Amino acid sequence: MLDESIQELASRCLARIAAAGSPEALEAVRVDAVGRKGALAEISKGMGKLTPEERKRIGQVLNAAKQQLEAALDARKQEFGDAALRARLDAEWVDLTLPAPGPRRGHLHPITRIQRELEDLFVSLGFTVLDGPEVETEYYNFDALNMPPDHPARDMQDTFWLDGGNLLRTHTSPVQVRGMEHLGPPLRMIAPGRVFRNESVDASHEHTFYQLEGMMIDRDVSVAHLLYFMKTLLTAIFQRDVTVRLRPGYFPFVEPGFELDIRCLICGGPGCPVCKHSGWVELLPCGLVNPNVLRISGIDPEKWGGFAFGLGLTRLVMMRYGIDDIRHLQGGDLRFLEQF
Amino acid sequence: MVPGLTETAGPLERLITMKTAECEGIEETGALLAEACVARVESVEPIPGSHNVKAVVDAGPLGMKTVVCGAPNCRPGLLTAYVPLDKKVVQGVESDGMLASGAELGINRDHAGIVELGSLEGCAPDAAIEIDNKSITHRPDLWGHHGMAREVAAILGLELTDPARLDLLPQGPAAVTVRIEDFDLCPRYSALVFENVTVQPSPLWLQYRLTAIGLNPINNIVDMTNFVMAELAQPMHAFDADLLHGDTIFIRAAKPGEAFRALNGESYTLEASHLVIADSAGAIALAGVIGGGDSAISEKTTRVVLESANFQASSVRKTSSSLKLRTDASMRFEKAQDPVNTVRGLARAVELLREISPGIRLVGGLADEMREMTAPPAIELSLEWLERKMGRATEPSEVRRILRSLAFGVSEAQPGVFSVTVPSWRATKDVDIKDDLVEEVGRMVGYDSITPRAPLLPAAVPPGNAARRFQHDVRNLFVDNGFTEVYNYSFLSEEAARAFGLDPAAHIRVTNPIASNQELMRASLLPGIWKNITGNARHRESFRLFEIGLEIHRREQGLPEEIPHLVAALYDRQDGGIFELKRVAECLLPGARTVPAEARDYEHAARAAEIHWKGAVVGRLFELHPRMVDTGRAAILDLDLRLIESLSGERTKYTPIRRYPSSAFDLSVIAPLREQAGKLEGAIAGFAGPLLEAIQFVRQYSGPPLVEGTKSVSFRLTVGSPERTLSSEEIAAIRTTIIERMRDLGYELRV
Repeated sequence: MLDESIQELASRCLARIAAAGSPEALEAVRVDAVGRKGALAEISKGMGKLTPEERKRIGQVLNAAKQQLEAALDARKQEFGDAALRARLDAEWVDLTLPAPGPRRGHLHPITRIQRELEDLFVSLGFTVLDGPEVETEYYNFDALNMPPDHPARDMQDTFWLDGGNLLRTHTSPVQVRGMEHLGPPLRMIAPGRVFRNESVDASHEHTFYQLEGMMIDRDVSVAHLLYFMKTLLTAIFQRDVTVRLRPGYFPFVEPGFELDIRCLICGGPGCPVCKHSGWVELLPCGLVNPNVLRISGIDPEKWGGFAFGLGLTRLVMMRYGIDDIRHLQGGDLRFLEQF
Repeated sequence: MVPGLTETAGPLERLITMKTAECEGIEETGALLAEACVARVESVEPIPGSHNVKAVVDAGPLGMKTVVCGAPNCRPGLLTAYVPLDKKVVQGVESDGMLASGAELGINRDHAGIVELGSLEGCAPDAAIEIDNKSITHRPDLWGHHGMAREVAAILGLELTDPARLDLLPQGPAAVTVRIEDFDLCPRYSALVFENVTVQPSPLWLQYRLTAIGLNPINNIVDMTNFVMAELAQPMHAFDADLLHGDTIFIRAAKPGEAFRALNGESYTLEASHLVIADSAGAIALAGVIGGGDSAISEKTTRVVLESANFQASSVRKTSSSLKLRTDASMRFEKAQDPVNTVRGLARAVELLREISPGIRLVGGLADEMREMTAPPAIELSLEWLERKMGRATEPSEVRRILRSLAFGVSEAQPGVFSVTVPSWRATKDVDIKDDLVEEVGRMVGYDSITPRAPLLPAAVPPGNAARRFQHDVRNLFVDNGFTEVYNYSFLSEEAARAFGLDPAAHIRVTNPIASNQELMRASLLPGIWKNITGNARHRESFRLFEIGLEIHRREQGLPEEIPHLVAALYDRQDGGIFELKRVAECLLPGARTVPAEARDYEHAARAAEIHWKGAVVGRLFELHPRMVDTGRAAILDLDLRLIESLSGERTKYTPIRRYPSSAFDLSVIAPLREQAGKLEGAIAGFAGPLLEAIQFVRQYSGPPLVEGTKSVSFRLTVGSPERTLSSEEIAAIRTTIIERMRDLGYELRV
């Protein structure tokens, strides 16, 4: 009899739980069913009249009903929670195709990019990176590089002269001399930087451009070593195997001096407009350091020797990116600079 | 000079490029000469209504030909050049080939009429290989064809013949006396005197040779001097002997102010540093540069003094550059020519003059003054050392063969060591140390025979370059924050300097600028950035850019000061971006203070500040004055990177995290509208005492219910102690102290 009314109560409550339309309605069912003054509590109040055996049995039935109802209530509550969360998530839809606020990343100058690449490369080969002034003395720019006053080789570099007798460095080679003076042998250094030549500007000529000077001084430095470093360098720069050749070139601060050519990367040798149909592209001057240059900088050429090279950074940048007008590099036009 | 040469111009050019000097191209000359032959004009008939004539010519082996010719000198009996061409009808006359002018044949530059000749001997199609001047700066001998021929003979293993026959030089006392004042400036002066000279056009072969290398044929005497110069690299000069005063030639310094009229028609006022050739009346030539106009060869000349001298390279170079007068002679002398060569040039001249000025006679013997010439010391060349330098071994016999083919003397002084003597034409400046011989051997064996080899070197971390590293970091920061890097020139115009309040006179000045707007060295990056702003504002509404570059400042002595600066700009057509720029600056300079400063002329009068960091003024933050940029607003940050780098780099030291909780409270100060929040913050922080951990601006407000002209500025203060939790009484006491002290200063607080 009591069992039946408990069963009935339980099924009635389960039906109400299932029918509850809101967390509030569910709460009302909970209070009515399993609350302190709810239906199940009412039934347990009347259990004092029962025999101990009956009380025990009915108690178990009541407990089972209560657990059943509480489980149903929790499950229903979870459903409401899940639904609410789903609704919130849905309401929080955003259009992720909209642009993010704030500035876009800026752009490094292409010369900076290539220069850094080369700096990292040479540092990894044990070279130190040196700086020298852009305004130089005649001594460092010419005399100490085996070009005394009235040496005809000075004509090879049209020079900007400054009041007071100094000049704008025509190459990064003066940093060789400064490097030898400050660090002495053995020495492995590079010096990237801005150089100046008194030339009219057009699509392929600039009065301001960038070079990267390199020098190594050690006990026995040979042409074979120079070739090794140049090949390593150029393979890294062009990210492919390059064929190089040396031919005689005259620069007073090296002896022997070379022009280094690479096999044309466009045609691979048969000849094309880029290599002027020769199959080779002139890339950089280099050579073994002239003993006079070592001596001027206080290094004994009987004990030490070295190689030096000068890489045209600006030219390399133009080759790498296919830039056809050198004036863009110092033109400050963002439409150009933002491409890098 | 290389009788066995069979190589054509193309392969020869490549060989010369790889082993001697850079070639710039090949110029084919005299193409028409392939089929041209000497022809005699037999008859000439006018063509009605035309200035052309119909000529019948006897073209020797090609037979009789009828051609139409427009040359005014086409006349019966003339010997000229006939070139067979396809027949074509001109003005109703069938023309079978053409009669050619000297210019058409490439023999000379004469376009005026058809060539008049005796013989076409020595005229055949040819190719001229152009050599890059710069690549033979160190090789005086290669400024003449004979020097290049020696290279070719050595490269190909062929025999070289010498065009100069010294046995042709006359014996006996000379007809002129030579007086050299300074043998350093003029190591040797040789001369010959000729009489019964006929001045006339050179034979065509000679004209053709000169034309092929870009020289203009003038007359047989002058052409001969140019020919010898081009062949032997020995510049020469011919004087009309009858126009000279006295029979002594002086080589002396010019008198200051001495006037000289040159062959080119120009007059020069000389200085004592110029060396002249003079007769008893005055200067007759500028030594090694140019001859004088008053003693020049003319059609009337019958007696000639022929000069073949040697002058000091640097003296010639100084003279030629100070007078801005570069000649074929000065270009050669400034490379340090060989004094031995003077008499070789004269010997060659004797031979040539006999052919081109028939009946010419030598007068007297050779005049030849020189300083004592000593052979240069032999160079010791260790073959083991040579191998170490080249990075490859070379057979001793190969080394010997190469050096000898280039006219070096080689003997084996001791096993493995050669004693090498240098030929006179290589000894003036070019070869004097063993390293020079590495080049001789290296280029001849071919550098492509050397295998690249890695050196054995100790592994070592190279010394760092902190300044450069720092600049790269700064670049990254600005790029990450949306700024694009620009490079500007180091040159400024006076106008641009003035626009930024800089005194042009304080700048370093370029004495030979490219243009008048590029004559100052920049002492500020601002003018360049300004140009970038106005340039890009034409096609962008908003942008950010920056430059890192050197400011160059004059110093009392020595080299100028070069200070790396960063200038960053933020432009927007509408909004000012100065606070965004301030934010980025603070990323670089944590804890920096922006201290309002008196605006400079180009700065927005109410938006200019100094950046203070670690006790120093490290830069400026401002908006450009609206007058400087009228399309929008440009905020600019200018930082001294050298100073900042010197202040950076202190090592971070860890502080333990506080174990006791801190407390925070807000305070709002009522202040006049233009009171600086930074000042208020500083005052409050000062009054808060040592327990203040942090103070932070929260917001500011003006409007009701505040009195007009005032604002409320709110700060959040965080207080605490590393030793204990502060009691509410302690916190209240700090708060009360601040309020009271601020009230003492006249500020109301909203509490």
